[in-house]
Amino acid sequence: MSAGRLVLVAFVAALACEATHAPDQAAERPFAPTHEEILVEPRSHLLPTYPCTSCHDEREAQPTRRRLADYHRTRYDDLKHGDDAFWCYQCHALEDIDKLRMASGQLISFDEAWRLCTSCHGDKQRDFQRGIHGLTIGEWNGKKHRRSCTGCHDPHNPRFRSMTPEKPPAPVQSR
Amino acid sequence: MKKDEASCAGARVEKLVELRLSKDGSRRSFLKSALAAAVTGTVASGCDHPFVKDLLQKHYKELSDEDKKELFQRIEQRTHAWSGVRVKVSDPQPLDGVHWGYALNLNHCNGNRRCVEACARENNLPNDPEIRYIRVVEADNGSQHLEHGTVNYDREQVPEPGKYYLPVQCHQCRNPPCVKACPTKATWQEPDGIVVVDYDWCIGCRYCQAACPYHARRFNWTVPSIEPDRINPDQGYLSNRIRPVGVIEKCTFCLHRVRRGRYPACFEACPTGARKFGNLADPSSEVRQIIASKRVWILKEDLGTDPRFFYFYA
Repeated sequence: MSAGRLVLVAFVAALACEATHAPDQAAERPFAPTHEEILVEPRSHLLPTYPCTSCHDEREAQPTRRRLADYHRTRYDDLKHGDDAFWCYQCHALEDIDKLRMASGQLISFDEAWRLCTSCHGDKQRDFQRGIHGLTIGEWNGKKHRRSCTGCHDPHNPRFRSMTPEKPPAPVQSR
Repeated sequence: MKKDEASCAGARVEKLVELRLSKDGSRRSFLKSALAAAVTGTVASGCDHPFVKDLLQKHYKELSDEDKKELFQRIEQRTHAWSGVRVKVSDPQPLDGVHWGYALNLNHCNGNRRCVEACARENNLPNDPEIRYIRVVEADNGSQHLEHGTVNYDREQVPEPGKYYLPVQCHQCRNPPCVKACPTKATWQEPDGIVVVDYDWCIGCRYCQAACPYHARRFNWTVPSIEPDRINPDQGYLSNRIRPVGVIEKCTFCLHRVRRGRYPACFEACPTGARKFGNLADPSSEVRQIIASKRVWILKEDLGTDPRFFYFYA
């Protein structure tokens, strides 16, 4: 298991401005909120099923924007992110296709995709860190798992997909 | 009183009920005899027939630990008898320093009703007649006229363009009209804010249902039919235990879960992350963060019910 398998993100700084709960106070309230750890769910373990390097190792990267008719055609047809300004290597790293590249040039793992996303979507970052945006499960007062951005949004077409709803309520019967 | 007479008081009452059901004997004579039998049962403390115990059961708040243990066991046995499912009935107590709050992001809710189904599964809600605690209102964008909306939308895909979705469930008001309406004190607000019902004290008058401005209470018109494989064995006495006929029930924020640190079932089921739940007394909790930084509103604010359920856009 890679070290980055579970990325423990200490969002505590942003979240727990109130983390300065005096310890004695916490002892008085056995269920005092802790917010000890929030785990952003990892994504990179999904990669080995189809590593990018299995093709890209043998090909020369073409960083120019063009129509993709062969490989990644569906990705190309479906690419709806940031109008037409986007291209693969704005996010994917030219140097190492199994990594993502921040604007600063720093290469990051797919587990930290949220860092890349929020470098543009700053408003969402603020909400994500506070637990307002995003899907969280776990315990309300303990360990929480937070879905990474790409756990819900396809980064190539980030609009939340429409869904099939559950059945409507049964008609009210007169009695 | 003879001892054997006392011990069979319960059997007598059951016999009388059978008689009543088979339409023999008048209602008056039935009531008379039943009352007599009940009095006999009271006197005969040695009689431990479950029916008599039901008849003499105290209000939840008056139950001792011993009473509770016995009562929960009785419910468990009864459920096992008809369904074959071993359930565990408990009554987790309110936590100190915790006031529950719920917030719902209307920008994210897409009306998929996963919460409705998860709630039904968790709370042993019957399918026939169907009871659901959560209703999702579909209304036109830019309008607050929910009366023009519908809960019966049946679509292939949601969200429908031009519509928004507003789930409504019990708001656990701080000033609950339903509690004021109850003539038997069968419903009350717990210290953590959850409004609960003692199903054994509810007389089924439905005043609370009429009093609730959010249409959050449901009535069991028939014996709730629930398939044994749908029974949730983790049951709270004041929340999701299987209800008898003729009583009111409602959303309890899954108190059997949240008081043990878990999230409500509807929260866990939401695939959009629209639902936020937490402790209003904790400034770092998600609901408090939302109230502090987002535009939050409550439904039917003008009624002064002061709900613990907030809607927001983010």
